[in-house]
Amino acid sequence: MLVADDEPPIRLLCQVNLAIAGMDVLQAADGAEALVVARAEKPDLILLDLMMPNVDGWTVAEELGADEGTRDIPIVFLTARATTNDRRRAEKLGALGYVLKPFDPVRLAPLVAEVVARCARGEAENLRRERPPALWPADLEE
Amino acid sequence: MRSSTALGWAAAFLAPALISSLDALSNRPSYQLAGFLYLLAVSLAAYLGGFAAGLVATLLATFGLDFLYTPPRHDFIPANSDQAAGVALFFIVAILISQLFERRRQVQREAEAASARANRLQAVTARLAEAVTPQQVLDAIVTEGVEAAEARAGAIGLIMPDGETIEIVAQRGYERNLFVGWETFPLNRETPMGTAILDDTPFFFSTSAERNAAFPGMGGVSGPSHALAILPLVVEGRAIGAVAFTFPTEIEFEPERRALKATLAQQAAQAIDRVRLYEAERALRQRMTFLADASELLGSSLDYETTLGQLARLAVPDMATWCSVDMAGPDGSIQRLAVAHEDPERVAWAERLGEEYPPDPDQPMGVPNVIRTKTAEFVPDITDELLVEAAQGDERLLEIVRELGLRSAITVPLVARGRALGALSLIRDDSAPRYTELDLDLASELARRAASAVDNAILYREAERRGDASRALAHVDDGVVLLDQEGAVVSLNPAAARILDVDEAGVLGETAVGSIGGWSEIEENARPERGGTRGPVTLPLVRGQGNERWVSVSGVDFGDGAVYALRDVTEERLLERARSDFVATASHELRTPLAAVLGAVKTLRRGDVSLDSDQREMLMDMIDSEAERLSGIVSQILLTGQLDAGRLPLEHERFDPVALTQSVVDSAELHLPNGIELRMQAEVDVPPVAGDENQLRQVISNLVDNAIKYSPQGGDVELRLNRSGQFARIEVADSGLGIPRDEHDRIFEKFYRLDPALTRGVNGTGLGLYISKELVERMNGRISVDSEPGRGSTFVVEVPLAV
Repeated sequence: MLVADDEPPIRLLCQVNLAIAGMDVLQAADGAEALVVARAEKPDLILLDLMMPNVDGWTVAEELGADEGTRDIPIVFLTARATTNDRRRAEKLGALGYVLKPFDPVRLAPLVAEVVARCARGEAENLRRERPPALWPADLEE
Repeated sequence: MRSSTALGWAAAFLAPALISSLDALSNRPSYQLAGFLYLLAVSLAAYLGGFAAGLVATLLATFGLDFLYTPPRHDFIPANSDQAAGVALFFIVAILISQLFERRRQVQREAEAASARANRLQAVTARLAEAVTPQQVLDAIVTEGVEAAEARAGAIGLIMPDGETIEIVAQRGYERNLFVGWETFPLNRETPMGTAILDDTPFFFSTSAERNAAFPGMGGVSGPSHALAILPLVVEGRAIGAVAFTFPTEIEFEPERRALKATLAQQAAQAIDRVRLYEAERALRQRMTFLADASELLGSSLDYETTLGQLARLAVPDMATWCSVDMAGPDGSIQRLAVAHEDPERVAWAERLGEEYPPDPDQPMGVPNVIRTKTAEFVPDITDELLVEAAQGDERLLEIVRELGLRSAITVPLVARGRALGALSLIRDDSAPRYTELDLDLASELARRAASAVDNAILYREAERRGDASRALAHVDDGVVLLDQEGAVVSLNPAAARILDVDEAGVLGETAVGSIGGWSEIEENARPERGGTRGPVTLPLVRGQGNERWVSVSGVDFGDGAVYALRDVTEERLLERARSDFVATASHELRTPLAAVLGAVKTLRRGDVSLDSDQREMLMDMIDSEAERLSGIVSQILLTGQLDAGRLPLEHERFDPVALTQSVVDSAELHLPNGIELRMQAEVDVPPVAGDENQLRQVISNLVDNAIKYSPQGGDVELRLNRSGQFARIEVADSGLGIPRDEHDRIFEKFYRLDPALTRGVNGTGLGLYISKELVERMNGRISVDSEPGRGSTFVVEVPLAV
């Protein structure tokens, strides 16, 4: 599990709660670091912030998607950008979720576990099509 | 002559008697002397008394000579045959002498008569020469000429311009009413005048019976039988009319009389022809003068209401008995502008009548019809039927117009540029001649000039009004564009030229779509229906160099074209966009610390696991700092609102800038990210400054935060403090991302944020620098930046020293 966010509090919240669920949590403080870690560690899933210094989340997703070795790593965006345009862009990039800040870190672990499990079963495409509300918020700004 | 005749008779008796008395003298004359004296006596009598007196004197003288002087004396029987032959010879010679004198007298008498006739003709000729009207011509030949013609009455009839009618233009000496019903009559009707004119032959009727026999259709001649002469009036071989002479008695027309009548007629014809020429010339001159005066009047003023009133007055009485001007209102109504008559009381009466009978625009004749059809109405002869028709059953009106005795009328439209502006009416009553085609031509010409003058005046007023409007529009910030029905630009004001980025001269008369960039979008979105309005709509107008402008456009169609109002809303639009960006930004900025606070609380309250104390501590710290951050953002937003509303009270205190800068550095050191080196360099003797210490701390602190934030790769952040004239100068320098030169001003604008590519994901509300600038300037200080991308930024704040 990789949490890429430039905000230390967010990384901390994810780390604490996911660890409680028994997951190994890697951290990256910006996009560049995220790319390095993702390519090296091939995490089961990346929780990816959008607004980060150096390389933003969009670029990270694009680059990982373009790379044969990292293409299948599920990405769930974790962002404060609450517009429909952003959500649509995330969909196009093939993300499996778009979690809007503020979020409930306690519920994050089961959600992430579910995504990882289904992807392991090869249901990534189904999940993309289903777009469960827990992973895709509806109340966005225009 | 008479006294001479009496003397002749006296001489006839006395002269022979006187000679006979000589016989009683002692020395009595001889036979020869006595005979000679007797012949003298006969001559005297014949000379004075004519042949009859001469004959009487001859008889007396013969008796005297025979009885007293022929031997034997005192005996009638001559002594011998010689004696008898002498007496007979005497008698014959005396008779011859008498006859001789009689012939001389006759010749003299004839000469005198001829001279009198010549005198009379001369008198007629003289009168004719002075005559300037047909009536005067008639008077000359009927009063002067009547004596010459021996007539008691006379009349002149002339062929009217139509060539088919005879009009009695003058008459004198007839009993009244003789010509009632005969004022005009057809030329080809069987009348003495008509026939005389058509056949170019005179008629001489010695008696009424003769005339009645020749023209039975005329009805009997009244009064005792009398003679009548009708002669054609011939000018240059063409009969223009006829003159009639009526004589008191029956007359035998011997050749001499006929010749005299013919001479009179000829002279009358010439006089009438001259009169006609004179009349025509006078009328022409009158028309020309009138037209010239009218033109001068029309050109004298732009106040056409007054001018047309003066024009109407100018037309009376020579051109018209009545003259009126009516104007067509924009709503189709007809307004009487002026009415003129010689008599002001009649004018007032006519005005009252006009109010009582306002013109009906749908009237089939008269002014409304002329205005409606733009065609002149010419009524040379106003007949009673016409009046009845015009009165439309209104008995009172009919009575009024009948009393006016209207004879002839012309109504011409005032037409300019195809539009009937009104009508000019000329009316003559019985006191003036009827109108001719010439008068119609004159009226039409006058109307043309009047219409053109009125049109000019209207155009001028319009232009003046437009001038006012365009002057007003020149100072309006909103753009106004006027298009005609074909979409060509009629006018546009400077604001429109500015907004549309066109040159006024380059688009006037051109179609808007063809000459104004982006107009087709305006047409598409704001073109109103005919007579309708549309908009306002806000549209982007792309001008040269991709400079985007936003305009709010509304269109109004007014039938003859459309007017578009344009307002440049680019500023509003940008502000609006900045505001909506701000909402998104603020939402984003608030969400991150909120997520931390909320997430920490939720984690701390997990019931399923117990966190260790380090974790709890970290989460508590997180709540603390992130809540602070939230509060800071909220404060910024509130502060901006206060600054906008001008409701932020600033302290004016004296404080040490060195201490202030130091405190900012100290607090920043507490949570300095890795890789950032914070340094401070201060001159020791910077004097105290004046301003709001807390707010200035906010400003410097904000600048330091920015310096750290925009140095994502780490680096040095240096605070420098020194004195610069009457200011304390605080510089905050970093070696971070830097700011492009053309953004240096804009970064101080509210909500403005650099392109995300330049900020590399650095968050912010876009308020910090705006607030800083506002605060510093309210302390009478200055803030500026010196920066280049990739080479860091140096923000400079200058605060006035305390006095």
